[in-house]
Amino acid sequence: MSSASDAELAPLIRKLESIATLSDAARHAVCELPMSVRVLEPEHDIARDKEQPAHCCVVLTGWAYRYKLLNEGRRQILSFHVPGDVPDLQSLHLKVMDHSLATLTQCRLGFIPHESLHALCLHFPDAATALWRDTLVDAAIFREWMTGIGRRTAHGRIAHVFCEMYVKLNAVGLAENHRCLWPVTQVNIGDALGLSNVHVNRVMQDLRAQGMIGRQGRELIIHDWDALCALGEFDETYMHLERKAAA
Amino acid sequence: MSLHLKPARIATGRGDEDGRLVFDGERLVAVLVQLSDQYGPDAGKWFFEVGLGWLAGPKHPIFANLGEAQDWITRHLAGHRS
Repeated sequence: MSSASDAELAPLIRKLESIATLSDAARHAVCELPMSVRVLEPEHDIARDKEQPAHCCVVLTGWAYRYKLLNEGRRQILSFHVPGDVPDLQSLHLKVMDHSLATLTQCRLGFIPHESLHALCLHFPDAATALWRDTLVDAAIFREWMTGIGRRTAHGRIAHVFCEMYVKLNAVGLAENHRCLWPVTQVNIGDALGLSNVHVNRVMQDLRAQGMIGRQGRELIIHDWDALCALGEFDETYMHLERKAAA
Repeated sequence: MSLHLKPARIATGRGDEDGRLVFDGERLVAVLVQLSDQYGPDAGKWFFEVGLGWLAGPKHPIFANLGEAQDWITRHLAGHRS
């Protein structure tokens, strides 16, 4: 029943259906979107600050992140993205990139022309609503990060990002039983949460020593979900999930 | 400017507790901590744990030795002396 494009865009469908309801016609139209697929290596820019992209990119596999560069090589990571996300969706209406987007791991990315997304929104209002809702959830996640960076302790910030990414992956069927792939380095975490590498290292040791988290190969294991949520003051309401994908 | 260092045990919560309080005259301006073996290539180097006044903020450099740390602190304070 699945066409090639249907399978390719399955992560996007899962993402949109985790936060909104799509009619069969809209789901079909999303699956039919024209897309050119590229594989990019880790730490490769997808779109740079001040560029004017003519397409949006769907993460099909791998992790990506948004970032800003400051002088003296300082970098602020603004968000992490997983399969199903369209991290440069705002370029559909905001012509100039006001930050950069890069791959964290090797990524398979689908580039959809802006004109095709405009046509989708015009003809399928529930698809437009889903994309709009995605940008609103994106803003809610930024509010949560701002609260964390401004007011949470280093332990709280790191606990919160573990909880958030697990819930995000679980919602699109890429994590379950409190385990998930975790390709984010300590330097990445520091750049995202405004912490030094040394501070991140100490917090990670504390979380492991207290039995909250562990690692098995490339996987993060959350041993004590309730304790981690309490430490990070994590409440998933701001992620506005309507339906989680069957794992 | 005359910086001087005073050894202290720093409660980092982890193994690396050997530190120096950095004074500018009588004023405490920074705390440095020597990184332990767990930091691999950075073991033995000096981490800028915390700065006060003009040195407060998100910068936490790592220095090869205490001389380098003092040079950096001196440079960063130089523009802000009354």
